[in-house]
Amino acid sequence: MSTTRSFAALVSATALVLSACTPAPQAAPTSAAAPPTTAPAKPTTAPAAAASPAASPAASPKPAASPSPAASPAASPVAATGPAAAAAPASGCPNQPAAAGAKKLKVGLVTDVGKVDDKSFNQSAWEGVQCAQKNLGADVKFIETTDPKDYGKNIEQFAQDNYDVIVTVGFGLGDDTITEAKKYPNIKFIGVDQFQAETLPNLAGLVFDEDKSGYLAGYLAGSLTKSSTVGQVLGTPVVPPVEKFGVGYIQGAKDAKSGVKVLTACHPGGLARGFSDPEWGKDTANQEMSQGADIVFAAGGNTGNGGLLAVADKGGSVLGIGVDTDQYLSLPEAKAILVSSAMKLITPGVFNIVKAAQDNTYKGGNITGDVGLAPYHDLEPKVPADVKSKITQVTADVVGGKTKTGWSGTPTSNCPQG
Amino acid sequence: MRFLYSVGVPLLAVLTALVLGAVVIFATGGDALRAYQGLWEGSLGRPQSISETLVWSIPYVFGGLAVALAFKAGLFNIGVEGQIGLGSLASVYVGYAVKDVPFPFHLFLALAAGVAAGALWGAIPGVLKAKTGAHEVIVTIMLNYVAIQMTSFLVSGPMKDPNPLIANAQTPKILQSARLPPLLPDPQYRLHWGIVIAVLAAVFVWWLLNKSTLGFEIRTVGANPQAARYAGVAVGRTIVVTMALSGALAGMAGALEVVGLNFYHTAGFSVGYGFDSIAVALLGRGDPIGVLPSAVLFGGLAAGASRMQFLSQIPIDIIKLIQALVLIFIAAPALIRWLYRVRVPREAESVAGEVQLTASWGKVEA
Repeated sequence: MSTTRSFAALVSATALVLSACTPAPQAAPTSAAAPPTTAPAKPTTAPAAAASPAASPAASPKPAASPSPAASPAASPVAATGPAAAAAPASGCPNQPAAAGAKKLKVGLVTDVGKVDDKSFNQSAWEGVQCAQKNLGADVKFIETTDPKDYGKNIEQFAQDNYDVIVTVGFGLGDDTITEAKKYPNIKFIGVDQFQAETLPNLAGLVFDEDKSGYLAGYLAGSLTKSSTVGQVLGTPVVPPVEKFGVGYIQGAKDAKSGVKVLTACHPGGLARGFSDPEWGKDTANQEMSQGADIVFAAGGNTGNGGLLAVADKGGSVLGIGVDTDQYLSLPEAKAILVSSAMKLITPGVFNIVKAAQDNTYKGGNITGDVGLAPYHDLEPKVPADVKSKITQVTADVVGGKTKTGWSGTPTSNCPQG
Repeated sequence: MRFLYSVGVPLLAVLTALVLGAVVIFATGGDALRAYQGLWEGSLGRPQSISETLVWSIPYVFGGLAVALAFKAGLFNIGVEGQIGLGSLASVYVGYAVKDVPFPFHLFLALAAGVAAGALWGAIPGVLKAKTGAHEVIVTIMLNYVAIQMTSFLVSGPMKDPNPLIANAQTPKILQSARLPPLLPDPQYRLHWGIVIAVLAAVFVWWLLNKSTLGFEIRTVGANPQAARYAGVAVGRTIVVTMALSGALAGMAGALEVVGLNFYHTAGFSVGYGFDSIAVALLGRGDPIGVLPSAVLFGGLAAGASRMQFLSQIPIDIIKLIQALVLIFIAAPALIRWLYRVRVPREAESVAGEVQLTASWGKVEA
């Protein structure tokens, strides 16, 4: 039975990680720190074997004293050779207790003009902070911003109250975060999705390798396709992340199934329309499906969402893959056909940096967070067990840098082809 | 008595809204006392908070004046949102694209561009109404969409900051020479000279409406366009001028946000100033001077929101809800009178009926 095999694979992978991760008190590594509606799916449904993303504690007998994964997360999974090699990062809250006698932190979070329950970046980041509350005993609070002009002021609410760590979510807060970080050198800042051009010792920008995320989506698509044709609907490649998603997807699909045809379309409208044209997304997805694509990956904000909705209109004969966060939750209209999403794992990323701050291993600059696939949710039965275990393996390899994603490292602003 | 009435009823409305808000906060599991402590500390309780409240009040003053001025001519300018947006856009463009103009002149140019853009955007529905009878409510609502989409297109395309590290749809920052200096030397206070300009603008609009010939014409057209035409007032021209002035005030709101506070413009400017402005004007009873305290109230509620959330951790929506409650009670003074058994003083009856939203509805332009 395929389910038995997948269950066995999960159990073994989980057990291996747990055995390395001594202090973990529970059997379920993805803890439900967050409220039920926001909690990630049950560990058994997670394609990524629900292992701890903190691979470096696994390599070290004393997690709390080990070099924090946040300090060098890009490198840490690579270091996770041996027992944890098959483990891929989990999207939820890693279950890591604080070191004995560690200082209780005060952690504040400022959203961009979105809410902490937006089922997207703000919510994921807030779950990371709540995770710190649960595991590290941190005192946590958030402020939701209504107008960009208040970013600085909202950050100051926490700064003036001597918070230890302040998390700001989204690229829009980048400038204000830098200003406040310079003004309050003793407070450690975490800028989610904020690329740091210069390194400040007290500002960690949490960024992600989209090509790796795209690769995983491609690999899943390539593994599941029956027609040997998969499609992707992208926003504008003027934005490097879009190009990276696309390149990774193509490579992933080809690695999963040689000879697979990947239909790629990028929105031609540049920044102005590239992410806000669901109609184009719909038309394009329909076109790709009429050319035989039976899996469509959509990465391009509302444009991509339009593509997913077109897939949903097919009533289940074609499957879709979402992007950035678990779109099963953020785009419920398409949940019947969403087999997974190419996620940026913001929750563990934020948690790890907060933990690093508590452990005094915090570093400024760009910190690369892990990526992974969202749970299969309702389509779990459609994914064969061997594909599941393969995806778990590939996720670990890609995140660890063992597998090349096809990304050259230099954006070209061209629509990826292949 | 008349003064007591016109001040007392809004005060009672605010008070009632706060009490009801407390019930809502309590019902959602929050601590109303902590929430209002936060609101107080964040809006008036500290010097920095007062500065923030006034910073937030500035666009509300101009937006409120824009709506109030149009009210006087019997016009309902719902297009303030779009006019503010285009004011910002024009001002930011002059601010970063025009170079080598020394300080005060560059600033004036940027402000003038914002005012002109707002005036133009306001004049369009005015002209359409005067020439074709097209209803300004419909036209201004539609022009809001045009303005919002146009801004979104420009700031993510032609006007986008060329810096490749900036992924957001936003313009470059305006040059130092186009920036309005802060009012206070201490950088923790963001209050800028816009507040002084705002007060002057309120006084000017009051003077314009009550002491000038144009103001007389505006009020006459508002009261009865047929009579105004009979009396020799060029009704069409007055409508166009009023809408242009209204738009100019809104454009100034947008321009001041750029030159005094943000120094750049970004997509999604619709944080709702334009729509809140209608409420500000109503709360101010359509009076230019009344708009000032009303704008400060809205500014205070907005500025106090951060601290309120920080202390009580209630959702930001609650503060919007309290604003809405204030409005309901303001818009329905009869409710407050009934609740508190306030009798209408005879001289104040005209005050109560002064704001006539419906004056411009369904009117056929002869």
